[in-house]
Amino acid sequence: MEPVIFFGFTVVLLTLGLFAGGYAERRHLQSLEQREAAMGDMLLTQIKSYPGHIPGPRPPQVIYAEVVIASDYLKTFLAGLRNFFGGQVGSFQIMLGRARREATLRVLEQARQQGYNAVCNLRLETADVGGNAATQGKKGMVMAAILASATAYHAEVRNGH
Amino acid sequence: MIVTNTETVAGYRIVEVKGLVQGNTVRAKHAGRDIMAGFKNIVGGELKGYTELLTESRRQAVERMLGQAQQLGANAIVNVRFTTSAVTAGAAELYAYGTAVILEPELQA
Repeated sequence: MEPVIFFGFTVVLLTLGLFAGGYAERRHLQSLEQREAAMGDMLLTQIKSYPGHIPGPRPPQVIYAEVVIASDYLKTFLAGLRNFFGGQVGSFQIMLGRARREATLRVLEQARQQGYNAVCNLRLETADVGGNAATQGKKGMVMAAILASATAYHAEVRNGH
Repeated sequence: MIVTNTETVAGYRIVEVKGLVQGNTVRAKHAGRDIMAGFKNIVGGELKGYTELLTESRRQAVERMLGQAQQLGANAIVNVRFTTSAVTAGAAELYAYGTAVILEPELQA
């Protein structure tokens, strides 16, 4: 009896992951695309300046954003299988991509809200909240935690040059 | 106080370097948040509790860094960097560091 219950429970969790996780992911990707399109006119660079522009009168300001996105049960399960056979772990790749895009968008949105039109020196790094390495015996939670920092400028187009 | 994560600030020049300033913090969320995060790990989606945890930690670390810069009499911090480390599950250490400087607006030619 016990293995049946265990098996049933796993199937329920996997189905939940498939539907709820899939729904959350599709909705998030959709929202990302919409918001990215809306932020299309912001200057975004990963270098220290924005070529072709001069700094405007507003002093620059650092901007941070952070995002933590959880994996769902199905993804974690599939990644476990993939770990056994080796190869590319596509589901986690998408999850990390979502977290990075979301963090970048939050930086852009904050910059715009504060009246800036350019974001320079964007830095993205991963954080570890779940403590996968630190917990002994117990598996840590699977998540993508991204910290973004950037400098917001008010840039003006260089004229007559 | 002007804070940037670039070495130089466009439109300004650095007239004096005051030295390294830093701030760190280790924070955790209450067990309820950790349990909720466990559930979220089944259905997927953003872990708002942990996002909040990182936001709070970052704010606190930056505040401490700003305090140090103020004590040194700087008016800006340049090249700010962050690092994180996992001390234990559900806790985050955030360390912010940068160079405290005195900036002066550049004269437009």
